[in-house]
Amino acid sequence: MGSIIDGSLWYFSLTVFVIGVVWNLVRIVFGKRKADFSIPRDSAVAGALRTLISRFIPDRHMLPRISLQVVAGYMFHLGLFVLLFFAAPHVRFLDEHILGFGWSPAPHWLFIVSAQFAFLGLIMLWLHRVINVVSRLISDRGDHIAAILTFVVMLTGCLALLETFNELRLLHRLSVELWLIYFPFSRLMHAFTFVPSRMFTGAWFGRRGVGS
Amino acid sequence: MARMKFYCDAERCIECNGCVTACKNENDIPWGVNRRRVVTIRDGEKGERSLSVACMHCSDAPCAAVCPVDCFYTTADGVVLHDKDICIGCGYCFYACPFGAPQFPENAAFSSRGKMDKCTFCAGGPEQDHSSDEFKKYGRNRLAEGKLPLCAEMCSTKALLAGDANVLSDIYRKRVINRGASVLDWGVNYDSAKL
Amino acid sequence: MKFLSIFALLLFVATPLAGFAAEDDKVHQGIFVENPGTDLWRDVRQRNFAMEGSSQVKSVDSNILINPQGDEWARFRVGVLVRFASITLVIITGLLLLHYVTGGRMKIEGGRSGRVLLRFSDFERVAHWTLAIIFLFLAITGLMLLFGRPVLIPLFGHELFSLLASASKEGHNLIGPIFLVSLVLVLVRFVTRNIYASGDLNWLLKGGGLFGRSHVSSGFFNLGEKAWYWILILAGLVISVSGVILVMPNFGQGREIMEMSHKVHSIAAIVLIAVSMGHIYLATAGTEGTLEGMKTGYVDLKWAETHHDQWAQECQDKNLTISSEEFARLQGKAVDKSSTVAKEQG
Repeated sequence: MGSIIDGSLWYFSLTVFVIGVVWNLVRIVFGKRKADFSIPRDSAVAGALRTLISRFIPDRHMLPRISLQVVAGYMFHLGLFVLLFFAAPHVRFLDEHILGFGWSPAPHWLFIVSAQFAFLGLIMLWLHRVINVVSRLISDRGDHIAAILTFVVMLTGCLALLETFNELRLLHRLSVELWLIYFPFSRLMHAFTFVPSRMFTGAWFGRRGVGS
Repeated sequence: MARMKFYCDAERCIECNGCVTACKNENDIPWGVNRRRVVTIRDGEKGERSLSVACMHCSDAPCAAVCPVDCFYTTADGVVLHDKDICIGCGYCFYACPFGAPQFPENAAFSSRGKMDKCTFCAGGPEQDHSSDEFKKYGRNRLAEGKLPLCAEMCSTKALLAGDANVLSDIYRKRVINRGASVLDWGVNYDSAKL
Repeated sequence: MKFLSIFALLLFVATPLAGFAAEDDKVHQGIFVENPGTDLWRDVRQRNFAMEGSSQVKSVDSNILINPQGDEWARFRVGVLVRFASITLVIITGLLLLHYVTGGRMKIEGGRSGRVLLRFSDFERVAHWTLAIIFLFLAITGLMLLFGRPVLIPLFGHELFSLLASASKEGHNLIGPIFLVSLVLVLVRFVTRNIYASGDLNWLLKGGGLFGRSHVSSGFFNLGEKAWYWILILAGLVISVSGVILVMPNFGQGREIMEMSHKVHSIAAIVLIAVSMGHIYLATAGTEGTLEGMKTGYVDLKWAETHHDQWAQECQDKNLTISSEEFARLQGKAVDKSSTVAKEQG
């Protein structure tokens, strides 16, 4: 079981993840689109870049109604980012198994604090998803699976923090592998697609000289 | 079977920290972990005494009683050892031990302590005697070689003794009889000088 | 002792030193002076506090020769605490079971009314369930560490339990500090409704209607709920503060502080777990219609009149009740459109 998780399943999941993500992005970026024959009034590129950045800031008028999602959302995503790329065991893993080079990891306390932010953010976001009627109605099974799978990955990682019990490490790795396999076929793709999505919208509006 | 004990003679200990150094060197112990230490009481005052302390290998050890995963065991020689594969690094043994013997390689936030390390009476651990695994986790296994802990063997004044409890108490009794009262508090010179 | 001193004196007389000593009576007397070391060792060994010395080794408490509190704490941890925790949890479980099987489940008086009113907003429910999830996780991992050795090691063996305990410990330490954050959210959100109001004493005098199945007048929260709120806040803060002390050994606090923190932490946690079991029972199996308030945010008007008549009256006065059709529409459930339109027109 351990050799499968560390071996074939790992390579399988990584292959599915890489091919799936690349294929999805290629499909989105180079996919057939209706040509826009209108005369550009302004730069599409500038609009694309502007929107890419401006969408990080929530709309001022909406903010009071969505403050929970904004705060919890940032907590979760920033926490997960630091945790994913700067936790010492993750940096070591990327160095040894994927990239062949590493960088200086965050101190242990920062790793844990970012994990705490991520946990609190994810729990509150998912609860909001099931509690708020509108969020619940616009969520489908995929949203819940994505949230719960991500939570399981984080939880198994948290339980394996002592880094001495091989079974706990395998459990974490198995959940990561399931997550990687699920990634290209689900909402988790938003980790990549938010860029082309925003830029497409921004370019479309930018070309017409409209802010977005 | 022998019942292994440490004994430190406060009338002889000169706080040279030779035992501390010997222990660190013999067992390849990292910075921050001190299986043995010398504590001086009333340093620089009348009645100053020093004692070398490590795990006392108690018969009824509080660390073993309080360990939530029950990783301690007592060998046939009466040495209290622990299994690092079972230890979860919770720190309870450190709170319970009266002598402050349990040590942790880290002391970081969020209770990231690593696995507990303590004096093994130079008796290794549960692994195969003299295996590299045993040395990595617990240090030298001198007892299996028929030798006593290096701290006591290297003590320059023979203040620190290690070995069978009966033998040690014999030695100590003879010392007390020969020594009489404390040799360190006679107050011979200035008291009598009538300055 | 006296014999020893004389014996020692005799020995010293035989040494060259004795010749020197004989020259001065004072020095001679010095030998008779009781060993000052005995006082020192009495201080070190028998005092109720740890005597401080100094050491070349610099680490937490390395200058303390003997800490007598450690053994006492160990006995508390494996004896008193385990006994107290198991007895408390068994008693509370027994009481709740007894209440349930003797027909203690409180039904909505006169059945549902078909009209509902909003009890908890989205944010309040998110805050509640966040705290609840974190609390349950911490309670389970904490109890595993507490009862693991007497209960789980015989079941699973040392290796497997060690794995579970390691997972519990790491999870408990990481998730623990989030408890404080979610506790503060609940504290801030519900504090105004949990202040003592007139009429609460009356509720208490009538035993809260828990026995005898009579219902006592109360506002948005009754005194029992307010008491639970304040127990949660106070015990929760005590647990959080002591937990943060325990989880931050990097600040170099000594063993005595850790032992104190652990005692406070564990006792407060057991109390909170016991009381929370009562809360969970009363909100689910113990009363009909209560859980809906935390699930959907809305409760039946009859439920409100049964348990919180003053609040129900206020809401009715302000015309805040809605029909169950309207409620279903708000929940996004498919409703027969013609009937809704007809009602809106009417």
